[in-house]
Parts: sequence; structure tokens; C-alpha cells
Amino acid sequence: MGWINKQRNILDFALNSLLRRKGKNSALFVVYTGIIFLVSSIIFSSESIKRESQILLENSPEVVVQRTIAGRHDLIPEQYIGQLKSIRGVQEVKGRLWGYYFEPGVQANYTFVVPDEFLYGPGYIVIGNGVSKTFLAGKGDILPFKTLDGSYTSLEVADILSPDSEIVSSDLILLSEYDFRKVTGMQKGFYTDMILKVRNTRELQAITDKIRRILPDTRPITRNEIMRTYEAIFDWRSGILLAVISGAAFAFIIFAWDKATGLSSEEKKEIGILKGIGWETSDVLFMKTWEGLIISLSAFFLGVFFAYIHIYFASAFLFMPVLKGWSVLYPEFRLVPFLDMFQITTIFFLTVAPYTVATIIPSWRAATIDPDSVMRL
Amino acid sequence: MLSRKSDFFIAFLVICLMLLLLMTVHAAFSVRHAMPNIQAKARMVRGLHLTDLSLFTDARYTRHPSMADLHTAFQDHPMSFEHFPSGAIVFPPSHIHSYGLDQ
Amino acid sequence: MIQLSAVTKVYNAGKQNEFTALRNISMSIDPGRVTVLKGPSGSGKTTLLSIIGCMIRPTAGRVLVNGKEITSLPERFLTGTRRMTFGFVFQQFNLIKGLSVIENVMLPAFPCGDPYGTMKKRTLQILDILKIEDKAKSKIEWLSGGEAQRVSIARALMNDPEVIIADEPTAHLDTKLSEEFMDILGEMKSRGKTVLIASHDPIVYDCKIIDRVVEMRDGTITGSENRA
Repeated sequence: MGWINKQRNILDFALNSLLRRKGKNSALFVVYTGIIFLVSSIIFSSESIKRESQILLENSPEVVVQRTIAGRHDLIPEQYIGQLKSIRGVQEVKGRLWGYYFEPGVQANYTFVVPDEFLYGPGYIVIGNGVSKTFLAGKGDILPFKTLDGSYTSLEVADILSPDSEIVSSDLILLSEYDFRKVTGMQKGFYTDMILKVRNTRELQAITDKIRRILPDTRPITRNEIMRTYEAIFDWRSGILLAVISGAAFAFIIFAWDKATGLSSEEKKEIGILKGIGWETSDVLFMKTWEGLIISLSAFFLGVFFAYIHIYFASAFLFMPVLKGWSVLYPEFRLVPFLDMFQITTIFFLTVAPYTVATIIPSWRAATIDPDSVMRL
Repeated sequence: MLSRKSDFFIAFLVICLMLLLLMTVHAAFSVRHAMPNIQAKARMVRGLHLTDLSLFTDARYTRHPSMADLHTAFQDHPMSFEHFPSGAIVFPPSHIHSYGLDQ
Repeated sequence: MIQLSAVTKVYNAGKQNEFTALRNISMSIDPGRVTVLKGPSGSGKTTLLSIIGCMIRPTAGRVLVNGKEITSLPERFLTGTRRMTFGFVFQQFNLIKGLSVIENVMLPAFPCGDPYGTMKKRTLQILDILKIEDKAKSKIEWLSGGEAQRVSIARALMNDPEVIIADEPTAHLDTKLSEEFMDILGEMKSRGKTVLIASHDPIVYDCKIIDRVVEMRDGTITGSENRA
């Protein structure tokens, strides 16, 4: 009880001493909160995309076989299906038909995908919500597509994919194989790439090795590799935003360091008085710790709360324009707060811990001054 | 009751902790609420054999990073950072690195 | 109450600027009496007060407070002894700006961990004795010199110490305030406090409440006069 009372007393003093240097401390607090806000916004948003992409991409093909010529992706001939099927452990092989379509009118890139079974048949397309928005096209509208020979072919929008699925479908144009080959000029007997289903995922390594051996011009990409690619992209450390912020963070560190190390003569005098009237070194250090904690804890909580609101209630409105970059068509989706204690603790140890330590260490010297120095002031 | 500054600060911390708790509860509910939608998307990924998220449509290698080869970026522009910022975020896929250069 | 035997204090020992502040001092201070250390500046008064007040350790010799050897105590216990046994009134008052009177007076009690209510009650009692209870909520920088002086005494009394140590307390006070200060010390004496003052101000050492004057010069005691 006595210990708690003592800490509350010291806390009182720390609050008072922060309030006495209002200007400097509030500037520090605002900058600090801003940095925690940005760092948490990045961690929250990248973690959300990462977790969602994990769930989604677990459903992507187990193996994609790409043909490469001169190091570049090339069309894969139909005959490869038989060769791939002959590999032990391969359950199913399918050719995928997909490609890109650049629409000069709206300056946007779309992705053509031919589903295994396209219900609407030739002459129709199903478009993603982003396509619908950029083309200003609704159900029943007829869109012209420039074919390989320069002529146009018109396809009718049969349906629009749910806006909820924009994160995977925003730029998709689903169409029949017939229309796909007509527009892109891809010859019969060729596919964009091939997908495999394997009987046992433990044989995956052996199967991909075999593919590389019997079809040396191909490159197998496993689902794990796809997922790893996404993990690497959204690993927050690799985010460009963090690079931008690290500049701000460094400025802050210098500012905080200056404030923390350069104990003003007035502060030093105060510590001398406190020691003189019977405060122990540990009491002074507690006081300085509280000073650091008051600022860093408050900034931590406020920064995290604002970031949460920013990302999950305000659709990350500060980040999205930055991320949009050159793309005309940008998917709109609500991030799902896959929040866990790990993220919170990461933010905590990235922000609160260094600041608090940075404030205590320089006070150590001042705290250990002889109490009799007060007699000589 | 709240006569001391430390009382206010402790009250502030308690409120913050409660808000943090509220935040995690909100997050848990949101995830649960969003799950049917995510599962619908997962079905779409499975049905259409999709391999990538439609996050950056700027260029081919940013649209399908996992399908890109090492040269895709250069194919679009001699300088691979042209589609800033997505070009800076999206690297060539990791499996290219893990097998050395494109095989 | 307090016994010093053969106390020597050397600053910067072994260095170029080695300086012996106290040489072989032995004396004892009786409880309930007012003692003045009289002497010019540099005579070692402040150093002697610092040693008696458990702020620094002597280089050689022994100091006993209430029969307990304090020179060998670790810092924490030394601080604890100082906090509970001594109250300090400094030359410059050394109050903390930006804090109110009551907050300043309470400061020495903060590390003790008493409940806040008890602490506040005691502070108000002390302010009442010193007749500045109406200034309790004022900020330090708004106080007059005399008021600041009273606040610094109030702070010295906060932990109800047996001994009040005052270093040149009247150096920055005019005659009237100096006399007032001595009256307050007289009041403390009548409440049974031991008082120890370092001063070369005649108002202090000629004051009628003084029981004993110890003269110092160049770190040694040159004379001692008992008045009571």
C-alpha cells in the first residue's frame, strides 16, 4: 500500500512537472501520437490485407505451370497436358486462359479470365465492379473490345460481380473461350498456363522437380510460393509507407533524444532539490520513468485508436490515394480488422519502450548527483 | 473524488484500456461478420483458379505479382520503378529468388 | 543526539585541486537546543551541516545520530535517516517553481508512501502553525520573500524531523524578516526541536534563543560558547 501511495505521489509530481513545460511537451506528444498513428495504420492495414489474402489464396491452384522462353512467360501448348498428367501423383491438369486487356478509352488495365464453364456462352461477359465503374457499364450494356486484327467485337454485360468481392475481382472480365481467343488472338491448342491438382501435398516437391525435368521450358509455381509472395509484399517492413515514415520517425528520435538528454539546468536543479529534501535516487528515476510513461502511454493509446478508426471506419482515406499510384482502376474494399494482441504488442514495443528508456537513461546521471549539491546552489 | 492529477491520469489509462478491450471485441465481431463474404470470395478464387489479388492494376507484374517473371517489370518500362508506388511495393516473386534466376 | 568524532572531509582527494574542508572535528549536539555554527565563508560550516544531515559521508571519522553509526550506511538508509530525522532550510529557499505552496511542502513526504489525505492534513496543520495557510494554493512564484521563507520552513517540518538544519537562512532576508525567522525557530525550539544553523549574521548568532555558538575557521573548531 505504501509503495502504491508513493508511486501515486511521484506520478502526481511527474504530471505537474510535465504541465509546467507545457509547450515543449505537448509538441512532443502531438508528433509522437502522429508517428504511432502512422505506424499502427500501416501495421493494421497490411496485416488485414495479409490475413485476408492468406485465407483467399489458400484456395488458389496448388501448382501453376508456366512456360518460359528466353526468361519470359510464353503460351503453353495443349500437348503438355498429357505429359503433366503422366507424372505420378498428379490428379488433374487444366489449361488456364487469362490475359490482360488495355482499354485506351479509360486508360485502364483489365484482366480477362475464362472460367471452366461460362454459363452465359459466347457474346456475353461478366465484369468486376471496377470494370463496371470505369466503363460506366451496367447489366445489359454492350461493350466493344478491340480484337487482334484491329476490328471490334461487341459483348454484352450479362452480370456484374458483387462489389464485396472487389479485392479479387475488381478488374476481371469473365468471358467465353471463343470470345477470348477471338479478342486476344490466342490460337487454339495453346493456353496461358496450366494448373495441377495433386493427390498428396507432401509429394509437391517431387512433382515440381519432375515437371522441371521432363518439361525444361516450364516453371512450376506452387501455392506456397504464391502465398509467400504476398506475405513478402505486405510484410509491413517492406512497405514504402514505412520508408516514408522512417524519415519522420528519425526526426522524432532526434527531437526526443535532444529533449531527454539535454536536461535543462532548471530540471537538474529540481532533481538536486528533491535529492536534498530526502528523495532517493530510485525515487527520482521513478519520477522520470513516469514522465516518459505518461507521454508514451497516452500517445500509444491515442495513436492506436486513431489508426483503428482511420483504417477500419474511415477506409484508410489517408493511405489509399498514395497506394493508388498510376492505376486508374483501384479496388474499393473494406479492410477486415484481423486484430490480435501480437500487433498491439508490436506497436507497443516499437514505440513506448524505446521512448521510456530514452528518457530514463540520461536522467540517471542527474539522479545520482550528491544530495549536498543543493547546499551549494 | 478526482482531486489529484494522478487520479485523472489513472482514470484516463483505465478508460484507454477499456477502449482497447472494446476495440478487440469490435475487431472480433467484424471478422466474424465479414467471414461469409470472405468465404464467398474464397469460392470465387477457387472457381476461377485465381492466383492474385486485384490490388494494383497499373502493370502486369503488379497485377499478378506471383505470376510475374523477372523481366516483366522491364518489359513495361526500362526502369522497374515506373509504376510508383505499387512498383516499389511489389517485388518479383520470392520463388524466383529461391531458385536463383528464372529457370 | 548527534556525536562527531575526528571527522575529516577531503574533496577531490588525490587530485590537483585536493581540498580539505574539515579537519579532525569532534563535537556533540544536544537535543532540544539551538546551535549556531559561526564563521566566515569557506570555514567548513556547510560541509559540516551536510555531514551531520547525512547528505555526504566524511572521508574519515565517525558520525552517530541517536547513537546509530551512519557513516557506513548504504545510500538508501542514509537517505531514509535524513528524510525522517532532518529538515532542511536552504539559503536560496530552493522551492520548486510552478508548483503550489501545498505541493512544495508535501514533497519530502512523497517517498514515504503515506496516504494522500494524511499528508494533506499534516501539510495544512504546518501551514497553519506558520500562518500561511491562506496561501496554500498559491504558486511559489507569486510569494513574497517572507512567505517563501515560511514555505521553506514548512517543507523542512513536513516529516516532523527531530532536527532542523538551516544553512545561511537569513542571507537573503532583510532585518525584519530575519528577526521573524528567528522567532519561528524559537517557536520550533519550544516545540522540542533541535536546531542547527550555519550563519555569520549577527542577527542569528546574537539572538536570544541561541543556546550555543560554535566558531569555525579553516575547517576546524576554534571556539565554543554555551549561553544557556
